[in-house]
Amino acid sequence: MATNRSGAAQRPNGAPQTKVCQFKLVLLGESAVGKSSLVLRFVKGQFHEYQESTIGAAFLTQTVCLDDITVKFEIWDTAGQERYHSLAPMYYRGAQAAIVVYDITNQDTFGRAKNWVKELQRQASPSIVIALAGNKSDLAAKRMVEFEEAQAYADENGLLFMETSAKTAMNVNDIFLAIANKLPKSESGGGGGGGGAGAGARRLNDGDAPRASSCCK
Amino acid sequence: MYIENEEDYKFAACTYFARNHPGETCGSNGLPLTPSSVTILSRAQRLLNIEHPNLCTYLDVIRGKHERIIVVAEVIGKSLKEITSKFTYQEITNIGRQLANGLNFLHDQNITHRTLADDNILLDNNGRVKLFNFGMYYMTGSGEEVSFPLGLPKYLSPETILKGGGPAADVWSFGIILLELCIGKLWHNLKPGPILRRILTLVHANNPAERIAREHDCLDTYKEVPENLRNIIEMCLKIYPSERATFATLVDKLSQIDDKELVTVKAERGLMGCKLQYLYHWWQLAGGDIQAELKKNCLIKNTPPILSMPIAILLDGCTIGGKTGALYDRRIAKYSLDLLKIRLNHIPPHDYYPLMHERKKEYDAVLLPKIIRERDTEYQFYRLLLFQRLLHGYPFTAPYIRAEAEIDIPPLVRGDVWAALLGVVGDIQDQYERIDKETPTPTDRQIDVDIPRCHQYCWLLSGADGHRALKRLLKAWLLTNPQYVYWQGLDSLTAPFLYLNFCNEARAFACLSAFVPKFLHKFFLKDNSFVIKEYLAKFWQMTAFHEPELATHLHEINFVPELFAIPWFLTMFSHVFPLHKIVHLWDALLVEGPALPLFMGVGILRQLRDTLLESGFNECILLFSDLPEIDIGECVKESIAMCRSSPRSISYRRFTNEAELKDPMDVVEIPMETLFTEICPRINLSDFFSLICQNKCCVIDIRSNLLYEKSCIEGSINVPFSGVQLGHVSQRALGLPAQQALQNAARQAHTVVVAGHANDDSARLFSEYLVKCAVARVCILHGGIPALQANVPSLFVTPPKKN
Ligand SMILES: Nc1nc2c(ncn2[C@@H]2O[C@H](COP(=O)(O)OP(=O)(O)OP(=O)(O)O)[C@@H](O)[C@H]2O)c(=O)[nH]1
Ligand SMILES: [Mg+2]
Repeated sequence: MATNRSGAAQRPNGAPQTKVCQFKLVLLGESAVGKSSLVLRFVKGQFHEYQESTIGAAFLTQTVCLDDITVKFEIWDTAGQERYHSLAPMYYRGAQAAIVVYDITNQDTFGRAKNWVKELQRQASPSIVIALAGNKSDLAAKRMVEFEEAQAYADENGLLFMETSAKTAMNVNDIFLAIANKLPKSESGGGGGGGGAGAGARRLNDGDAPRASSCCK
Repeated sequence: MYIENEEDYKFAACTYFARNHPGETCGSNGLPLTPSSVTILSRAQRLLNIEHPNLCTYLDVIRGKHERIIVVAEVIGKSLKEITSKFTYQEITNIGRQLANGLNFLHDQNITHRTLADDNILLDNNGRVKLFNFGMYYMTGSGEEVSFPLGLPKYLSPETILKGGGPAADVWSFGIILLELCIGKLWHNLKPGPILRRILTLVHANNPAERIAREHDCLDTYKEVPENLRNIIEMCLKIYPSERATFATLVDKLSQIDDKELVTVKAERGLMGCKLQYLYHWWQLAGGDIQAELKKNCLIKNTPPILSMPIAILLDGCTIGGKTGALYDRRIAKYSLDLLKIRLNHIPPHDYYPLMHERKKEYDAVLLPKIIRERDTEYQFYRLLLFQRLLHGYPFTAPYIRAEAEIDIPPLVRGDVWAALLGVVGDIQDQYERIDKETPTPTDRQIDVDIPRCHQYCWLLSGADGHRALKRLLKAWLLTNPQYVYWQGLDSLTAPFLYLNFCNEARAFACLSAFVPKFLHKFFLKDNSFVIKEYLAKFWQMTAFHEPELATHLHEINFVPELFAIPWFLTMFSHVFPLHKIVHLWDALLVEGPALPLFMGVGILRQLRDTLLESGFNECILLFSDLPEIDIGECVKESIAMCRSSPRSISYRRFTNEAELKDPMDVVEIPMETLFTEICPRINLSDFFSLICQNKCCVIDIRSNLLYEKSCIEGSINVPFSGVQLGHVSQRALGLPAQQALQNAARQAHTVVVAGHANDDSARLFSEYLVKCAVARVCILHGGIPALQANVPSLFVTPPKKN
């Protein structure tokens, strides 16, 4: 069975004018901060109060259109419980973008987010775009992490930062768009690693170094 | 005393509305508030389990539209309110004694009645007395969850009127009931306000009973009441709750006066002798519909929405005006069982008393899907009666229970049957009670955030009671299993047990405690990576064994089980499917044993086969992020068939609770690193030997022709590995004899065993090659030909020379 390793090969003739870029994005953060909820809001426009906890990881895709290019996100939503930590590298390896999420009503989750940022800076692709999301901004009355504190931390570390709410949808699309804008999209040209089907898996399994930073076709 | 027109009703329903949370719909954690109706329903679960001769058994509590609650319970005869004729003092004493019995039982269970009244005390022609809907106050959380006052004014004790009373309030109400029986209805034509005022003025009376009698101009009548009975009334009607007698004392005193045996009604035979819960269940299956009947009796009225719209809505969400009908209807609707009697009319009497070792009848329904059987009145009739007998004899009947459970499990007794299948015995209550479930631990945070996300579509698990119970269970399990830690998913795994044993937490705990070692041995270790890896590797091998084409495709697109199947096995699918599907999966699991889940995994893949085969990596993984509708009945059937047709040793895992295999004939264990590289499973010598004896396998010997011709397994085919072109994926490339043998094996679902040298790569590579050629049921002979020669030399022959 032939696998489409270099996505471009299978593009139908007369491909649309807009360029399609495919990026692998991973969500990290303490359990119950709302990672799955953010993805669900972004991908399906929904919010489930009783969103089930994530075991292992879940995979979803969503496409956003910028001015002249279409960006397709392959999103890995990971399990938040510390015990599942050992699985995380499998998902962030080769990712071009990461959203590290914390819950503004819980200081500990912010601490955990900082650890994730450190780990990504050490272990992930050096060109990875990291965004910090302070989620549950609708619960501002119970805020435990100040906006300024998080903003300062993000600035220091060169992260995108927004406070979001999966519940009210505030800043959810915006944060993904901001990431899409910040991702490098052209320099790799045709050589940008495999889009298409097998790519995600290959990066997951091979221990090899992350591929080129983007994969436009 | 004879009650006229006593009709043959068995149960009745009454209905009321739960409180609406006005305005704010979210709690401080941002989650919606639990609706009052859900709180009521989960509290009421405990009532459903109460059985006592003087209490009407609760049968069901239903949530209707708009926070309506419908309570279904046993009824007998008529209520004291309906009975107008007078009782003798002896009868009154006897009624009192039975009442006190029931109330004493409730107080022992820490349940306060609080709504005792003449219309919820029932009496039949046998002289039996039972309390109907005694749990109103309990299920509504002391009235918190409803917005109407509980209890009829004239039976309320003074302290209840002032500040809400405790259990002693029931004693007062009981006193008033007795007094009414002696001197006639009290405060007959008064409105609630004046009645309450009258009761409060009693506070100054020395002897409230006498004072009431005087108020009603019945002092003389009262004085005629035998002194001992009057004493009892006066022990109840004390102003200070602490001075009132307790029901324990009252039961004592009353049985001294009324020394007759308490009425025992001879158990009926036939249908009417069956457990009321069963009758109600069958009645529903036969088409009985509580809500429809309530509507017919006008207890549920449908007002057009326009008439029930509020006149105004305040900014906080409270509404003004537009209330429709009463929030609580004191009437009850009675149901007869005629529907069911007609339905089961033809069943011969002896069928009511099934014998367990008698070869059971075959029912046509057995051929229907389980979900249909579960709704078939007659089928459930037979099954429930049989299981009732079997469960009664547990643990001695355990093998019978297992055999019957293999056919199916009646939903009504699923909790009992599961406990039996898991071998739960002993004083589980006591064991559970001893475990510390309260002391905080560092794991609590994770448990606390997981529970409100665990199967919350199920109202039982979504209420505060459910949350607390789940937390206790998890904490208890963690404490008693110090070798294990909390992995997310353990909550989902516990949920089905809680769901089936909502009022028997100890049994839920015992089931969980028995389940884990059997099915998930070592899964919850802090470092479980090897356990999970082994499991997933075996799952992948089973997929290759039964679905070679699919396995090849998934291998090619690098679609590995680590990406999607961890929650499947870590939670035995309980994190993946809704409860109504899990119960059917687990019904099979508990009967078939720990090998089945691997094949269930394959069964799921098989159902999605066509989609998977034409999808690339992304589409495949997307499919599993949001698992599509799986036909669980079909999946279970297929997986059982796969499981039973697979040699046992091919699903061997090292991390199980089973005894270690030492005999060289039985061993299949290989180093983990080797396991992870093998696509096909290994079969041990014993299984191989049985397959050969049953003529159910196709043996491919991949040694050189030279060795083969010296000595080979009888009937085997020689395909020397050195001659195989692994790049040329086609069965034809193997030569005609091999091709025919493989086709033959495929037709007869024979197992294809690859036999080679002891320790080289050829068997692995060749078996992989066969899988790529879409050959099903391929496995590797563990130890190869040399091991077989050493252990079963008798299988070897010298092949006849070709040409
Ligand atoms: N109020 C509020 N609640 C939210 C928001 N986002 C998520 N939640 C709730 O927080 C809880 C956890 O959300 P999840 O999306 O399951 O969290 P998660 O980070 O995926 O958790 P794990 O899967 O355990 O790692 C759920 O009950 C959500 O309903 C938000 O923006 N506002
Ligand atoms: Mg999640």
